[in-house]
Amino acid sequence: MALIKTQCVEPIAEEAREAPRDCAGLISRLAASDPTARRWAARDLVDCPEAAAALVERLKQEVDVSVREVILTTLTSLGDPIAIAGLVDCLRSEDTALRNEAIEAMQQLPDAVAPVMHGLLADPDPDLRIFAVNILESLCHPQVETWLIEVIDQDPHVNVCGAAVDLLGEVGTRNARASLQRLKARFANEPYIRFAADLALGRLHEN
Amino acid sequence: MKRILIVDDAATVRLYHREILETADFMVDEAMNGIEALEKALQTGFDLFLVDINMPKLDGYGFLRELRGQDLPQAPAIMISTEAQTNDERRAYAAGANLYLIKPVKPERLLAQVRMLLGELHP
Repeated sequence: MALIKTQCVEPIAEEAREAPRDCAGLISRLAASDPTARRWAARDLVDCPEAAAALVERLKQEVDVSVREVILTTLTSLGDPIAIAGLVDCLRSEDTALRNEAIEAMQQLPDAVAPVMHGLLADPDPDLRIFAVNILESLCHPQVETWLIEVIDQDPHVNVCGAAVDLLGEVGTRNARASLQRLKARFANEPYIRFAADLALGRLHEN
Repeated sequence: MKRILIVDDAATVRLYHREILETADFMVDEAMNGIEALEKALQTGFDLFLVDINMPKLDGYGFLRELRGQDLPQAPAIMISTEAQTNDERRAYAAGANLYLIKPVKPERLLAQVRMLLGELHP
């Protein structure tokens, strides 16, 4: 017996891919009642550079898991500033699954995400800054360690720093040593930060 | 010896909580997300769950909802999160949490809350 209710991904019927197949027609099909039609529209919109905003709006309300996956794949393929802005917007959602999906999508777009990373790490909302650190976890970009060091040097929120230290323990080099020591001093009364910083410092030898 | 399952995707957080709890003679197991936690909970009886909210695959809310829907003895759960949004606390209790804490939790506070939920201390 399945513990979690999973949605059956039914075969895509060609008839659900009915005309019109121009960009405007595809965008309108994102609101079709049939999830198969929505899935086809989301897939075919990969050839429509102006489709990102409509895809993001659909993503926020889409309940079908398979359609959501295709929307995210298309947004990742588009990877333009509108797609990135839409994914950032999803990070502010109370829907945990949507936030996680946005994080995973952004992790696939290092070059497109890099220009907005400073803004994300300086956002007034500490939760959003934590999600930005979560993006760095699998972001293949040469600046990742520098961004993390900036976080632990400057961010006033203990949990943002905690998330960054956790990651520095995995990707940090000796360049992070002084900042980790300063962090321990800055949060001297927080046992978790002391614990995490000591752990990361120990692991720097291995990296 | 009481058994506690720590459910968190952050390895450092799991290790931090493990050390606190093991020092106090609790038996600890770990899960990295709600799916893994649910599988372990159905295989092994735990006396308490320490559950993060934000996790991949199945988050803390989803894990607790699924757990509470199972026909098995229900152990108390502490939901623990970095998030200070007011809705999170309400959603945690709605999902089946017995207590909601904001990270980072100091060792003495965590142990006091765990012991209280296990009936070893009075509030």
